[in-house]
Amino acid sequence: MAFIGLDAEKYDRKYNDIDLFKRIYKYFRIYKRKIMIVVLLLTIASLIESFLPILITLALNSLQTGLNTQYLVTIIIISLFFNASSFIINYFQQINISKAIGNVILDIRKEANDSILEHDLSFFDKNPSGKIVSRINTDSQEFGRALELFMEVLSSVFIVIFYTFIMFFLNLFLSLIFMIMIPAFFIVAILFMKAARRRTLLGQRATASVNAFVKETYSGIQIAKTFSQEKKLFNRFDQVNQQSYKVNLKRAFLLNTIFPSLGFIQAFVLTLIIYFGGISFFEGSIPIGSLNLFIQGSWLLTFPIFSIASFWPQLQAGLASAERIFSLIDTNPKVIQIDNIKPKNFKGKIEFKDLTFEYEDNKKVFENFSLSIEPGESIAIVGHTGAGKSSLANLITRFYEFQSGDILVDGLSIRKYDLSEYRKKIGIISQTPFLWGDTIENNIRYCCKNASETDILDSLEKTGGSEWIDDLPNGLETNIRERGTLLSMGQRQLIVLARVLLENPSILILDEATASIDPFTETKIQEALEKVIKNRTSIIIAHRLSTIRHVDRIVVLKKGKIVEEGNHQFLMSKGGLYAKLYNTYFRHQSYEYLEKIKELK
Amino acid sequence: MSNLKRSNNNTKVEFSIENDPFINFRDKSPSRWILAHILNGSNKTNICIVLITTIIAAMLSSTLMIIVGETINDLLLGKESALLINILLILIIGIGAPLMRIGNFMLREVIAQRIERDTRKEFYLNLLGKSQSFHDQQKIGDLMARTTNDVRMLNYLISPALSLIIESFTSLIIPLGYIVIFYPPELVIIPLIFIFTFIVALRDYIKKIGPITEKLRGDFGEMNIVLNESISGITLIKSTVQEAREKHKYLMTIKGYRDAFVEQGKVQAKYVPILLLALMNTVSLAHAIILFLNNSMTIGQIIGYLGLLSEFRFPTFISFFVFAIIKLAGAGAKRLLELMNKKTEIDENLEGESRKIIGNIEFENVSFYYPGFKNRVLQNISFKIKQGQTLAIVGTTGSGKTTLTKLITRLYDVSEGRILIDNIDIRKYILKSLRSQVSYIEQDVFLFSNSIIDNISFGKKASFEEVRNAAILAQAHDFISSLPKSYDSEIGERGIQLSGGERQRIALARAFLVNPRILILDDSTSAIDSKTEDEIQKAINKIEENRTTIIITHRLSQIRWADLIIVLKSGKVVAQGTHEYLIENSPEYRKIFIKKFDLEEDKLITRSGRK
Ligand SMILES: Nc1ncnc2c1ncn2[C@@H]1O[C@H](COP(=O)(O)OP(=O)(O)OP(=O)(O)O)[C@@H](O)[C@H]1O
Ligand SMILES: Nc1ncnc2c1ncn2[C@@H]1O[C@H](COP(=O)(O)OP(=O)(O)OP(=O)(O)O)[C@@H](O)[C@H]1O
Ligand SMILES: [Mg+2]
Ligand SMILES: [Mg+2]
Repeated sequence: MAFIGLDAEKYDRKYNDIDLFKRIYKYFRIYKRKIMIVVLLLTIASLIESFLPILITLALNSLQTGLNTQYLVTIIIISLFFNASSFIINYFQQINISKAIGNVILDIRKEANDSILEHDLSFFDKNPSGKIVSRINTDSQEFGRALELFMEVLSSVFIVIFYTFIMFFLNLFLSLIFMIMIPAFFIVAILFMKAARRRTLLGQRATASVNAFVKETYSGIQIAKTFSQEKKLFNRFDQVNQQSYKVNLKRAFLLNTIFPSLGFIQAFVLTLIIYFGGISFFEGSIPIGSLNLFIQGSWLLTFPIFSIASFWPQLQAGLASAERIFSLIDTNPKVIQIDNIKPKNFKGKIEFKDLTFEYEDNKKVFENFSLSIEPGESIAIVGHTGAGKSSLANLITRFYEFQSGDILVDGLSIRKYDLSEYRKKIGIISQTPFLWGDTIENNIRYCCKNASETDILDSLEKTGGSEWIDDLPNGLETNIRERGTLLSMGQRQLIVLARVLLENPSILILDEATASIDPFTETKIQEALEKVIKNRTSIIIAHRLSTIRHVDRIVVLKKGKIVEEGNHQFLMSKGGLYAKLYNTYFRHQSYEYLEKIKELK
Repeated sequence: MSNLKRSNNNTKVEFSIENDPFINFRDKSPSRWILAHILNGSNKTNICIVLITTIIAAMLSSTLMIIVGETINDLLLGKESALLINILLILIIGIGAPLMRIGNFMLREVIAQRIERDTRKEFYLNLLGKSQSFHDQQKIGDLMARTTNDVRMLNYLISPALSLIIESFTSLIIPLGYIVIFYPPELVIIPLIFIFTFIVALRDYIKKIGPITEKLRGDFGEMNIVLNESISGITLIKSTVQEAREKHKYLMTIKGYRDAFVEQGKVQAKYVPILLLALMNTVSLAHAIILFLNNSMTIGQIIGYLGLLSEFRFPTFISFFVFAIIKLAGAGAKRLLELMNKKTEIDENLEGESRKIIGNIEFENVSFYYPGFKNRVLQNISFKIKQGQTLAIVGTTGSGKTTLTKLITRLYDVSEGRILIDNIDIRKYILKSLRSQVSYIEQDVFLFSNSIIDNISFGKKASFEEVRNAAILAQAHDFISSLPKSYDSEIGERGIQLSGGERQRIALARAFLVNPRILILDDSTSAIDSKTEDEIQKAINKIEENRTTIIITHRLSQIRWADLIIVLKSGKVVAQGTHEYLIENSPEYRKIFIKKFDLEEDKLITRSGRK
């Protein structure tokens, strides 16, 4: 089942850890200063932290040997000072850390979003948006953890080095015993490492699956209702949710056994220290205070040593996330421009030369397709569903890459244009109109920020009047909800049409732009449309043959091949496929036909 | 069926399952609701075990401190023989504590992950039961954020947050107890003062962090909304070259989130308890030393005492992020409840009629406005069709055709008047029974990103044969067979990998498969060429003569077969009758059809004349 995807996505790739680090480092480098400050603070904090037990040791030693009140008071005052400084350090540390992390997450999110907006449509065909959203918004959070870990480990290193130094200074033998802890911790950490990364990755995928599932089913809730299949969705949801539960539970189990397992080692070391320390004490080779330092050390150093040892496995979660985000960023676009010529204005000649195109392997939509459209010509493309009409539009707008042959606009391969400039000259209404969850005004204005209100009203007027908009609660200011679901289908198409008219492109492509608009309203638009089409290359795709009779040339497409072309009269007189279609399905709708019926009666 | 459990008196739902243990907690406070989840079912035993193991683990840790202190005393007193016994104790206790923790961690994870699973399930189920008018108002990105991320916060609430609190609590209390028992009782004074001031400071901190966490959760939802919407609109963005604007839009929302995050950091920076801890540490050291000087304490005891106090570090330092998590979870829970508690209008009506529908439909003075809107989309609609007849609805864009058909499946309820099917008000039917006998093919086709076969069989479990037959009826079989993976082809989100007409045919097949008593086609062939359309039409007519059909279309080729045509204009029926009748008698009808061709034919003539 499609929903239960724990596999890698197609675009996922493996990075080696060094590359991953280098790359992560790049994000952190920008905040070097903040990070340095934090590391410095942490170091000071660690020094103080290691120093406190020493103070106590001194105090105890002094209590044991004899009294010096002034000495004790000094120690207590120093201890107060040290203790209190941890507050100040925490202050600056928190402020800087949160800025650094907040910004790193911001940067990675921004970069990921920037990059997916540049991906071509084949990417979005294959990847559920819910999973993409999950990667960008959720995984990035994990990424910030890496920074925290990094700082933690740095300060830990300082503590451990400092403390070890003192311990060696105090007693070599006990120090050596103490050092057993370090390799033991590392062994445990490494044992967990691999599994940790794998399980984390699975956990994130499971979460992404949940996200994708709920996104899709919320979008399609109306279908579930009309078919009364809530139960089905619920059961599937249950599976996906249960899967996420299982996978994440396993992950949590694993990560949670690491800490306690270290506790065992700690207990063992403590026992050894006290035993051998006790014996040394009896031998008189160590004062009680120093022994206490070792005992304290077994608690104090557990966490730092652990965080050093577990740095790597813990980082795996961050690395897994980084890997997921980088894969997203690094996906190679299939649409590649080979030059960046900026067109001024198109005259509008379009040529398809020996074009071959397929969305997927082995399912050719076009093979050696050729067609030439003159500047200013209006051309209609008709044909049965799936013939490749929309695909043609998709290719001109450069949403997909074709495999061989070429498409020339004004004599130049469209691969050679600067993509943004090129697309700005082309206006397209896609077969499925899309509207933003925003006001009507902003939707129409979408392409052209600076359009005035009169421009907007003008273009609306061209779509057959804007009276209907006045019936909406807030007129032009009405928020029409995501995808424009507040409006009827026809109304949505009108808005989309108004948007394109405002754009005023050199080349116009209308893919079933009026399919959901009733004939009466359509006639009202028709006039405006004809004006727009005049003197500009336009490609009109429509099933309703009545809508396209006024174009200069009609191209009949069948399974990616042109079977007929010419204007309405020509094709009618030719008596081919078009004529047959028209006669069987449209003639009887015409006025003449109705008149005839009347006469017959 | 235990209806009592399914819904309580004041909530309506369109869908529910039998057992909803949380029904009575959703209108309570978020914390009460979360508590209900925590105490749910087998969790109770787990919680008991977690509590007990936490306490034991804390006791073991504290005991360890005492024993270490005693050991040192013994050393100082020169009791060599005691050493072995002591270290044996230390080893056993030292191993016992982590052992407890392993069990403890495992169980608390189980509880935490379960809560995530169960609340998500509850939330999802609840949203499935909400009416269409509720869903109309939601933003998908926000729903995603709530279902996935806000729910996850509840997981973090249990583990680590609440478990750490329990641990902290025990590691505050138990050392205190030990101090009282084993050491001079006055030693307890300073720690007590600390705990008291700690709690006061913590409350202040929680108050400050609260609003920020709510902003964080809200901003996260906003991020999801923007990102999700811009991915949905990617074609438009590309064709209008507005990538820069979308990038900017997203950047603004993530900046909002970042600012809240930094704000949170600032509050955490001023976390006073750290200072209090520092004071306590110093003062208690001094206190202990004074007692030592008064001979009421030994060095071993000082070491033990300081060891016990070091247990306070843990609660102090973890509280500042633990309470941030708790607040975040609270904000998340609020967001979940906010939606779940929204009332919706339509109920599944489990006690209603479930009889087989014959197919007579009658509208009696139906008026309708969308909930929350003032203007009437439909006004005083009345008409009647009999079983097996075909009704065609025509009218200009926005005249209310789609709305009218949505009322029949009760996606929305009429505002006035009533709709009768077989002389029974449709509100009297069991919702599921009604909807499963009426098939509505929406104008705005929605397909799931599953395989074709999954999509076609969405409405009903079906054998491959049935699926194939439905596809053949919808003229979809041929193109499906030509796909590399045939019926198993995945078609992408919303069927993006299919052409417009192919999508519509899948939707048709999906509706045909359930073999409904009433079939509603809302402009369902707008993207299908006339030839294919005609074949579909023939197929429909052939199989089920007795089915009532409602079609909305602008194609005369389909309308002319209809037994009754109603002409809608701005939500009113301006004419009804057969095609022949309307052509003769209704200017409105003629306007819709004849005028157009009239106009066109004229133009064609003038044009060709000029040429
Ligand atoms: N994104 C895609 N990925 C894979 N295959 C696709 C994709 N889009 C379209 N196809 C396939 O390519 C063929 C041509 O589709 P296209 O959308 O161009 O048809 P069309 O002529 O516009 O049809 P319609 O009139 O139904 O809109 C169809 O067989 C379709 O299944
Ligand atoms: N969910 C909704 N909430 C509020 N208003 C809505 C909603 N859906 C539609 N409307 C409004 O109700 C009116 C009728 O819409 P409806 O979709 O029924 O028109 P229609 O006759 O089907 O038009 P079309 O031929 O364009 O599909 C329109 O003005 C529309 O803006
Ligand atoms: Mg198409
Ligand atoms: Mg409609």
